[in-house]
Amino acid sequence: MTTVFDSTKTVKTELSKQRYIASDEIATIVYLAQKLGKPLLAEGPAGVGKTELAKAIASATGRELIRLQCYEGLDESKALYEWEYSKQLLYTQLLRDKLNDALGKAESLSEAADKLAKEEDVFFSTRFLLQRPLLKAILSEQPSVLLIDEIDRADAEFEAFLLEVLSDFQVSVPELGTLVAKHKPFVILTSNNTRELSEALKRRCLYLFIDYPTLQEELAVVHLKVPDLNPKLAQQAVEFVQRLRKADMRKSPSISETLDWANALVALNASQLDKDVLEDTLSVLLKHEADLQKAKRQILNPQQPKQRPPTDEFGRFSGN
Amino acid sequence: MESRILQLISALRASGVRVSLAESAEAFSAVDLMGIQDRESFRLSLRATLIKDVKDLPTFDKLFPLFFGSGTPPMMGGNPSDDLTPEEIQMLAEALRQFTENLRQRMERLMNGEPLTKSELEALAQLVGLNQADNLNYQNWMAQRMMRAMAFPEVQKAMHELMEQLQQMGMSRERIEQIREMIRQNMQGMQEQINQFAGQRIAENMSERPRGDNIDNLMNRPFQALSDADKKILQREVKRLAAALRTRIALRQKRMKSGQMDPKATIRANLKYHGVPMEIRHKDRIKKPKIVVICDISTSMRFCSELMLSFLFALQGQVRKTHAFAFIDHLESISEDFSGSNADEAIQSVLSRMPSGHYNTDLGWSFNDFNKEYMDTLNSGTTLLVVGDGRNNYNDPRLDIFSTMTRRATRTIWLNPEPDYMWHGDSDMKKYAPLCNNVLKVSNLRELANAVDELLTG
Repeated sequence: MTTVFDSTKTVKTELSKQRYIASDEIATIVYLAQKLGKPLLAEGPAGVGKTELAKAIASATGRELIRLQCYEGLDESKALYEWEYSKQLLYTQLLRDKLNDALGKAESLSEAADKLAKEEDVFFSTRFLLQRPLLKAILSEQPSVLLIDEIDRADAEFEAFLLEVLSDFQVSVPELGTLVAKHKPFVILTSNNTRELSEALKRRCLYLFIDYPTLQEELAVVHLKVPDLNPKLAQQAVEFVQRLRKADMRKSPSISETLDWANALVALNASQLDKDVLEDTLSVLLKHEADLQKAKRQILNPQQPKQRPPTDEFGRFSGN
Repeated sequence: MESRILQLISALRASGVRVSLAESAEAFSAVDLMGIQDRESFRLSLRATLIKDVKDLPTFDKLFPLFFGSGTPPMMGGNPSDDLTPEEIQMLAEALRQFTENLRQRMERLMNGEPLTKSELEALAQLVGLNQADNLNYQNWMAQRMMRAMAFPEVQKAMHELMEQLQQMGMSRERIEQIREMIRQNMQGMQEQINQFAGQRIAENMSERPRGDNIDNLMNRPFQALSDADKKILQREVKRLAAALRTRIALRQKRMKSGQMDPKATIRANLKYHGVPMEIRHKDRIKKPKIVVICDISTSMRFCSELMLSFLFALQGQVRKTHAFAFIDHLESISEDFSGSNADEAIQSVLSRMPSGHYNTDLGWSFNDFNKEYMDTLNSGTTLLVVGDGRNNYNDPRLDIFSTMTRRATRTIWLNPEPDYMWHGDSDMKKYAPLCNNVLKVSNLRELANAVDELLTG
């Protein structure tokens, strides 16, 4: 069973049933993308829930999620289809007797050739076609959600190839002819904005920029995903993360890292954000050594001879 | 409504956002779908269909309210004379009498909190030449001029005097405060109204007069003679150029074969020989282009370094294995700066990190730096690209290091903004040139385009 969103509100409620909190912006654009049958290009910093959005949409609509992870050097045979040579070979070997039977009765060579020609479809049927994500989404019997993850990592040539698939939802396999999608999949592309995508690709998509959430939004996400964390601590933790994002870090903590950290706090049974807890768990939040050092220097330098003034923006967390 | 949306689209185009025909058609179908009752979803449906780049979001956010503002004039503080006692009204009228007729009218108007009418705004716009403005940067300036045309500063001063007068006449302090506050709000309201009007008018002008950017003309103009706006257009052109560079490198290198066997292809190719491997197939070597660029950003090169850096930025976006370096008196790696997606920021960060001094270019020392730290970035398959004028301030050119570099790299190409008859004085170009595979003069974009062609075909 697949459901269809019939208004912006439904998008919101259905997604929240999947434990995804969608802002008005996200809900509206998702609804538009579905109604217009356009691919949705979600851009934003890493870890703000772009992939999560696709997953939530898939489960909210009851569709299968087909995921294509992009990387440098990704090509058609990895993304679209490939013939399964070894299986073809094996079949040929095993069916040799059968072939002999079929061809043995032939009186002339040309008759045998004709007979063989009739059978050649066997060896180039979908049976031997190894379906990769794109073809899978096109051939799927049920409507599906196609997630093309981190498209900015793929090469520009692959992007151009993708254009064809995204505009017509059909693929031509020379041996089989053109395969047309039974159901147009709901396509979601994500990009971390590490390089600029081509104009042509952007033109075909609806654009959604997902930024780091506001304090309230992030708090709501933490409440939803880590219900065991006590509200006061959650508030402190989220405020702390938001402050870290404002500081100049090599990699700002993302929502997923906030959630990991929240889980860590629950696991450690922390009752408040004090120096020890921060020191133990900060590495969950910050993944660069330089960032860690910086944060530690700024926040929890206990040996510092000068006492930081209470007006310091990190003062609240500086332990005693 | 439709013409309003079209106006917004052409205003977007005029501010440098690329909106294709397909996208504007898309915007209309999105609006059809979402309706226009809810302003927020209307805004989002336009934004999702028209804007495809984070960098363009602020432009949209600025223009949208100008075309689809709330429509009502901003809130006025109210009429202070509403709750005055008759004596106080009397007092006010008396105090007002000292001002000239003209000024008094304006002051009364402010006190009554009447917004400006459409025709008054038009007249003001006419007066200050608002209809000629087509750049949003002038919005505040235009609004200020309109207010000055309304004698706003004088009125403000007169209001001050009025308050003092009232105080002398014995009106209670809080009453005066109250009047003052209301007048202040009214003034603010009027200011906002004017500002909004100016913004709207400018945006409309922009949509009527989209800038024709004549690429051909710009291509031939020397880098020195480019305005900032031209540079924007050229940056786009440069990006296209870098993309062309990349595809061609990729094409050429894909055709190369190496010795590694490809079992799958071999089995498949030999099916015709009953599985006996008669023909060996080899793997296509996917060789990724590698480029090392060294760019001079010293004073003598400043006029074109910004554009060259944007070329490097675009190149790095296209070719992953690009190492970019910049130098004046020493060499610094700038690949890190270029890892973001905003060209302007990246270029600014490089230029501010390495400010140009006075006659301090030292090519030799920079090559020495390269030798010490980055020599390993050069290996077979690397193209070395040097961008600079070779003006070395009579320092040691370090030809020994440069020749090692050229030997290590597959090809060395030097892009120089100066033609060869200018290579004298402190220019060491004559010494470097024989070591390069190619020295190309690049002083405008056309030549840069030709150089890229040369780079690929040569």
